[in-house]
Amino acid sequence: MTNEELKLLAVDKSVDARGTACPGPLLEAKKAIGIIKPGNIMEVLSADEGTKKDIPKWCVKQGHEYLGTIEESGYFKIYLKKR
Amino acid sequence: MENKKLCLALYTGSVDKLTAAGIILSAAAADDMKVDIYVLLQGARAFRKDIGDNPDKLQMAENPNMKEEFLQSLKNLKVKTWVEFFKEAKAITDVKIHICGLAGKVWGGEKLDDFIDIVDDIVGINEYITAAQESDVHLFI
Repeated sequence: MTNEELKLLAVDKSVDARGTACPGPLLEAKKAIGIIKPGNIMEVLSADEGTKKDIPKWCVKQGHEYLGTIEESGYFKIYLKKR
Repeated sequence: MENKKLCLALYTGSVDKLTAAGIILSAAAADDMKVDIYVLLQGARAFRKDIGDNPDKLQMAENPNMKEEFLQSLKNLKVKTWVEFFKEAKAITDVKIHICGLAGKVWGGEKLDDFIDIVDDIVGINEYITAAQESDVHLFI
């Protein structure tokens, strides 16, 4: 997805994990995805560089759809859809 | 899909290596892995009720003279303690913590009640070999 398409997504769940270092954001994402419904869109906010690679790979491994990442100033937003 | 299995031989009783084990456990939990931890010799001391994640009672395996800096840096980064990592992993996925019977005795722990409440049982060493043989990922820390 392009950044424009990502920005237009209706997000069902937003997880702000900017206060934690790896593996905090991954665990926050893992916990949150357990409570949303299949097909729901989740965004994860993180300022941890390792997480930018970790969450998309984890997402695919778990069978969820990785939609893309938007870079913001000092952090980024990762978008995924629950299978 | 059947969950992958992680077998961890946890020999260390040092705060830095226990923290590393906790971080790896988090990743295993995120992947819904089935985890069996076998606590060997030095490790059993850290699981004693009067030790746990009390930093004053734990040593560092590496850079022993930099324990304060290490712990302060973890705190600044809001990193969990090793016991918190283990507890969180248990809450997310199937994690069983087994204390080797001999290891427990070495440090004065004979009963399950002598150890912190995340410990599941006290076992013989052959169980570890069986779990290692059946695992997808096998680590010794």
